[in-house]
Amino acid sequence: MTVEKKEVSLFLIEDDDVDAMSITRSFEKMKLSNPIIRAHDGVEGLQMLRSGAVPSPFIILLDLQMPRMNGLEFLEQVRADENLAQSTIFILTTSKSDEDIAASYQKNIAGYFIKDQVGEEFLDIVKMLKGYWKIALLPEQ
Amino acid sequence: MIDFAKPSKDINIERQKLIDASQLHGIHWLVLALSAVLTLGAWYLANEQHNKNIAERFQRESLQVIELVKERMLVYENALWGAVAHIDANGNAPNNRQWQRYSNSLQLEKKYPSINGIGIIFNIQREQQDSFIRAQQVDRPNFTIHPQHNEAELWPITYIEPVLSNQQAVGLDVAFENNRYSAIKQARDTGLAQLTGPITLVQDAKKTPGFLFYAPFYNNLLIEDTVAARRQAITGVSYAPFIMYKLISGTLAVDRRHVTIEITDNGQHLYHDKDNQDADMIDPKPLFKDKFKVNLYGRVWEFNISSNLEFRADSASNKPYFILIAGVIINLLLFALFSFLSKANQQALAYADRVTRELKINSQRLKKSNQDLEQFAYVASHDLKSPLNAIRKLVGWLNEDCEDILPDSSKEHLALLNNRSERMNNLLDDLLDYSRIGRKDHQANEFDLAEIAQAIFNLLDHPANFTLSVEKQTICLPQIPFEIILRNVLSNAIKHHDKASGHIKIRYQMDPGMHHISIEDDGPGIPSELFDKALEMFQTLQPRDKVEGSGMGLALSKKTVEHYGGSLTINSDGINGTTIVILWPIANNAKQNA
Repeated sequence: MTVEKKEVSLFLIEDDDVDAMSITRSFEKMKLSNPIIRAHDGVEGLQMLRSGAVPSPFIILLDLQMPRMNGLEFLEQVRADENLAQSTIFILTTSKSDEDIAASYQKNIAGYFIKDQVGEEFLDIVKMLKGYWKIALLPEQ
Repeated sequence: MIDFAKPSKDINIERQKLIDASQLHGIHWLVLALSAVLTLGAWYLANEQHNKNIAERFQRESLQVIELVKERMLVYENALWGAVAHIDANGNAPNNRQWQRYSNSLQLEKKYPSINGIGIIFNIQREQQDSFIRAQQVDRPNFTIHPQHNEAELWPITYIEPVLSNQQAVGLDVAFENNRYSAIKQARDTGLAQLTGPITLVQDAKKTPGFLFYAPFYNNLLIEDTVAARRQAITGVSYAPFIMYKLISGTLAVDRRHVTIEITDNGQHLYHDKDNQDADMIDPKPLFKDKFKVNLYGRVWEFNISSNLEFRADSASNKPYFILIAGVIINLLLFALFSFLSKANQQALAYADRVTRELKINSQRLKKSNQDLEQFAYVASHDLKSPLNAIRKLVGWLNEDCEDILPDSSKEHLALLNNRSERMNNLLDDLLDYSRIGRKDHQANEFDLAEIAQAIFNLLDHPANFTLSVEKQTICLPQIPFEIILRNVLSNAIKHHDKASGHIKIRYQMDPGMHHISIEDDGPGIPSELFDKALEMFQTLQPRDKVEGSGMGLALSKKTVEHYGGSLTINSDGINGTTIVILWPIANNAKQNA
């Protein structure tokens, strides 16, 4: 346990500012110092990933309903891109639809969370992320 | 959801029936053909019967004619035999005066119409001729025998009455001519009354066919019944001359018969109606014709009888034609009836199709608008939730961040803001649920009512002294929608209860084809005039600030039950509790209506 783990970034792809803000506030509340990088839709997200704007290691928290490129389309692109294919992606969405859930896991997501069910200000998610980072090993990119 | 656009199998069958009924089928044509055959058959039989009847009638009339002639001849024969009897009774031949008296007493005109006269012909030998003439000339100086001939014997007409119309015949020796002579010999030899062949009477100025009728008489030496003895004993014959047309006119007046008569004797013409004044009744193409050979006193008369115009007129019958026409009319009426029925069915079909089409369009429109509405409700409630969540979060942050600097009133306002947002969130949740009813059809499965009800009741946030009683009962229903309903109803019962403690009772019974579930509470009840309102969307009977609720519970429950073909009704006296009655079709029906 001598090796200092590199701090993991959270890449938040979310069009709703308040939702994004919730995550940020929760990070502050939980005293997490991990950097949060945000894109507003799939197109911007892909662009930032490919341009190296997101330092590795990172995990992606992805919304499904977004303008321009939605979450499922984004997943498609990421899994098809050999540089990005191994990314760890969680879904955070309002959609409870079975089809969305199935389609997402089809693209090897790490988890699917529904915004209504993760408590005030997504605190449960942030708690989960905190634990996840603590024990999970992520690929270096 | 019932799909109106697609007609059910039953309706298709009904429609096919209507299509079938709107066409003329084999059975219709068969009926028409049978009717036609019956008509023709009846017509044919009637015609046959009629023809048979008139044929019989003709036969009857023909025989009647012959019988009348025979009868009349018998009458004349009797007159002749009467004369013979008279002579035999007297023992000797009468003189002219005696004969006159005798014939007068016969009243010829009255009793023997059509007879031309009655007389006596004596048989004398050539050597007796002179003495015979002299004897006769005592009374009648002009008496002679004529004409001359070469036969050995003479058969002079000696007496004939009435003499006036028979003057030419007096003294006529009938042996002068073969027809007259051979018949008289035949009469002599047989001892029977005999007729001559056709002759022309000398006294007939018109020279029409006629004949003589003889009856022989013998002297008292006739003891043996042989031809030779008769020839020995022959004395003479009583005789009567006849003119054929007079005989027939008197016997068979044309207005009493419906046949035309022609009589021949051995090919020789005796009588024909065409020679008579009644010729206008002759039918040039008679309906019936017949020949009869009649043995009459040594002659064979051949009667050629044919129906005349009167017969034709009498036998014309319209009955077969009436039958034919009636049959044809019935056939036409049948055809018209069939056509009318099929036309009516065609119209009904066209009408039904038109109504169906309109209904289809309407139902499609309705379906579309329902879908749109559901879609709208879904999208609206869904999309409204995100900004609402954002608002709630922002309020929370405001509270957190400004806790120290906000005045109490602002904090209270923020609390109210939070509360209203919460309420709106619930509303949107219920609206979403409501719009989802019918999106998914749940299959029926078996479960225990008591277990489910108890589980739901326990999950609901109820005061500790609220109780639920429910009997164990296995039922088969789509469980998920049923649970939603039960939850709503139970939640209502608890939420709206006016006392600190309460009791809810769930009862089950099986009605024909229906599950009957009643949920009874001992709350404040609902006045009957508010039943409808309680079942409407977004309607609450109490202020939302007092009893938190979206007002969607019952509406949602009702819509769900109705989607599965059941019903939900409220029972309450408005004072002592409310009973919600749910009728839910038993499995099969539920599936059919889904």
